[in-house]
Amino acid sequence: MTVKQPMVEERKKRDSSFSLFFQNKNLYKVIGLLAVFAFFLLPVLRLVWLSFVDDGSLTLQYYTEVLREPATWKTVQNTLIIVAGSTILALVLGVLFSWIVAYVQLSGKRTMQLFIFLPFIIPSYITTLAWTQFFSASGPVTAVLSFLPGSLEAPNLYSIGGIILLLGISHYPLVYLFTVNVFRKIPRELEEAAATSGLSKKRAFRKVVLPLALPGIASGGLIAFLSNLDNFGIPAFLGTPANIRVLSTYIYEQVVGFGPSAFSRAAVLSVILGIIALLGTVLQWFLLRRSRVNETNRSDSTPRIYLSAGKQKLLEASLWIFLLVTSLMPLITMGALSLISAYGVPFNLENLSLRNYEYVFLTDSKPISALTNSLQLAFFTMLVCLVLGTAMAYLRFKYPDWSTKAAELFMTIPFALPGTVFALCMIFMWLEPVPGWNPGIYGTVWILFIAYATRFLVLQVRGSYTAFLQIDPSMEEAARTSGAAGWVKWRRILLPLLFPGILSGALLVFLMALTELTVSSLLWSSGSETIGVVIFGYEQAGYSTYSTAFSTVLVLGILLSGGLFMLLGKLWDRKVLKNK
Amino acid sequence: MIKVNNLSKKYGSFTALHSINLEIGNGEFIAVLGPSGCGKTTLLKLLAGFMGPTEGTIAMDGTVLASTKRVLPPEKRNIGMVFQSFALWPHMTVGEHVKFPLSYHPNKIKEGKRELQNRIDDVLKLVGLNALAERYPSELSGGQKQRVALARAIAPLPNLLLMDEPLSALDVELRMEMRKEIQKLHRETKASIVFVTHDQGEALAIADKIVVMNQGRIEQIAPPEILYTRPETEFVATFVGKCNLVQGQWQNGRFVPAIDPKNVWPDLGVANTFKESGIYPVRPEQFLLMPAESDGLQGIVSFVQYQGHEIHYTIEVGEETWTIHESVFASRFNIGDFVSISLKAPTIHWEET
Repeated sequence: MTVKQPMVEERKKRDSSFSLFFQNKNLYKVIGLLAVFAFFLLPVLRLVWLSFVDDGSLTLQYYTEVLREPATWKTVQNTLIIVAGSTILALVLGVLFSWIVAYVQLSGKRTMQLFIFLPFIIPSYITTLAWTQFFSASGPVTAVLSFLPGSLEAPNLYSIGGIILLLGISHYPLVYLFTVNVFRKIPRELEEAAATSGLSKKRAFRKVVLPLALPGIASGGLIAFLSNLDNFGIPAFLGTPANIRVLSTYIYEQVVGFGPSAFSRAAVLSVILGIIALLGTVLQWFLLRRSRVNETNRSDSTPRIYLSAGKQKLLEASLWIFLLVTSLMPLITMGALSLISAYGVPFNLENLSLRNYEYVFLTDSKPISALTNSLQLAFFTMLVCLVLGTAMAYLRFKYPDWSTKAAELFMTIPFALPGTVFALCMIFMWLEPVPGWNPGIYGTVWILFIAYATRFLVLQVRGSYTAFLQIDPSMEEAARTSGAAGWVKWRRILLPLLFPGILSGALLVFLMALTELTVSSLLWSSGSETIGVVIFGYEQAGYSTYSTAFSTVLVLGILLSGGLFMLLGKLWDRKVLKNK
Repeated sequence: MIKVNNLSKKYGSFTALHSINLEIGNGEFIAVLGPSGCGKTTLLKLLAGFMGPTEGTIAMDGTVLASTKRVLPPEKRNIGMVFQSFALWPHMTVGEHVKFPLSYHPNKIKEGKRELQNRIDDVLKLVGLNALAERYPSELSGGQKQRVALARAIAPLPNLLLMDEPLSALDVELRMEMRKEIQKLHRETKASIVFVTHDQGEALAIADKIVVMNQGRIEQIAPPEILYTRPETEFVATFVGKCNLVQGQWQNGRFVPAIDPKNVWPDLGVANTFKESGIYPVRPEQFLLMPAESDGLQGIVSFVQYQGHEIHYTIEVGEETWTIHESVFASRFNIGDFVSISLKAPTIHWEET
């Protein structure tokens, strides 16, 4: 008996779930990767496949058909001009702002950053709506111009130039985001070494600063390029009335046109769009081929250029004017114009009323149901992404091998794809998840939910991953050597430390899902309208006053929740993390 | 008692540890000394259970903690650990840091709340933090943070206390103070301690026994004084004692330097490995510098560095370059001076007999 006892003990320990996990690690790895593949990559492959198939046989028929039409080439040309123009605009604005914020002594940089990010958290179709009001006949621009001598007219936003302007303004925060830390991380000694080697400030900028900042500028440029290519709201709002088509709106028109070969033609156009996106990525790789990024440099936020008091004031003033005019003024105009009773009437007291709001929120039932739909969708998307994305980020952090890297790459694809293309992928995938079996997901709110979760999951993965990177591994190790494992370790140590980072990822997912337009515009069905779809519908039907009223409420909601989030973050920092 | 048997660890094709064998007695204070990348941190992580070995076993008091088949996770081992960066949790007070292992460690306090509070107070008193129990890490100085880290590790009275370069984040004076503090804790808790460091002064000062590691292998295990005066490998001689490795021949238990065979040095406890390879390891302070006309090896001074309590000379002797430390009270030499070099005091005594 006494001999048997330790043997039983020994066997029990060997069969614990812990060792089982290690034995079956590769099995779990394969199952996990297959699931990720099925949800994230397979839809794309099915889209490409469909562009080559007709009635079950391989064919290039759709390609020859689509490529032979002059409309296709006109659309591709428009797309290229618009994307190139807006990317250059975003790059110039973004790099200029990031260099000034990183290098020059200015007061109020934090508030300035908030305003730079404003066009980023407000969906671009609402920004567009605001700008059209800003430049409209009853808007302030026309009013100011009418005071000036000569017969100046407000520029027409419904043009290629207008689309470029709005895309550029909507996406320069992305470039800013990617470059500002790159500028801050350039060691100031390198510039001082250039100066003591006899280079003037200008030459030092060209020979030292610019080459070092190039990786950041190029990745910012790539993101701006992909976002410009992907954007649907701006060309749909501004281009459609003027008959200007880009690939993303053209694909949309094909799908909603419901021709006999609509889906196949849309698939072909999607492949073309995908190829353009790929070319941009290759160009970035080509630019970065020879540059080496030094990630270990510390970020240095103290200014390097001090201006005289007068010049500094002048620079601050001009930056603020730009920021207020581009981000805040259009929104205020939109808010004001949403109060006038009918489109085109002058803005004065007699014409002010809350009639538009009354119609949107009381008479028409769609906006309220869209608001409920979008809030529910955004909330559940956030919840699913929060759990799955953080779990994925933890795996990626804990086991940084090929399998987790591949999984993350797969998850990036739905987000990197242009929204219209991704929406098509979702249709092809979930119409018949297994060929021959239609579970009725397409045509319900479920397809929207699946699409949002697939598309935005990577945002949570990145957000949570960054949060994991920021806590020292010894924090967790200290918990384990103190005897805490599993849930206790997470609840007492990891989650309190990770909370702010994870929350900002979750908020981003929530906001993106709440105001999503591109994917929703192709996947919605009657009864599952979203906020974006309703505003788009009003705009297409010519009810600008209704769309502005609805948008104004949304903007206020977004700003309020953004402010609340920042306050919460600060409180958490002070109360829980005791950072002073 | 902890027994490390034939322990190896490979990362892909890189071998971080080559079949390590080590015994840690109850209450023993062991320092693991070596340069960065020698495998000392890997050994510590294996002892803690953050990873499993590629080969070999670790056993504590007869039960196997880790083998290639099974690894007992850190939270189930009877250990405590002090980290290089302190690893204090920013959202917990000093008191909560001590309370944490008392609630979750395998040795947790199972009695009532009062016993728990008493134990917390005792531990805080032991490290001199009883007045700061309500403070958060951001409100503490470096030395105080270190004390919290120590308090957290010793609170559940673990069998084995692991320390990963715990003093390297502190400034020099604080380091000296904390050495004494750690020695005091060792005396009072009677835990076995494995203290990893790259600072040979720290290892010599603090440990009962030193394990010198290099390139994933153990070079020598010995008490500090034996290690310092009787190194067994070239690595230990140069890393711990900063020895000059003088080339020559061993004949009948005496050493004849290759540079000048007129000199004969007696055996002051040189290990056999050196005798076989024709080397005499001489520590910098073992040499005596005299004006050139005296007996001994002839050399020329190439660098002089004043250190306050000592003068460090660099001397060119034939093809070799030696480092010699002399007291500030000894006669001084300048760059370019010719000097005569011999082994210190015992030399004369031995030659007379």
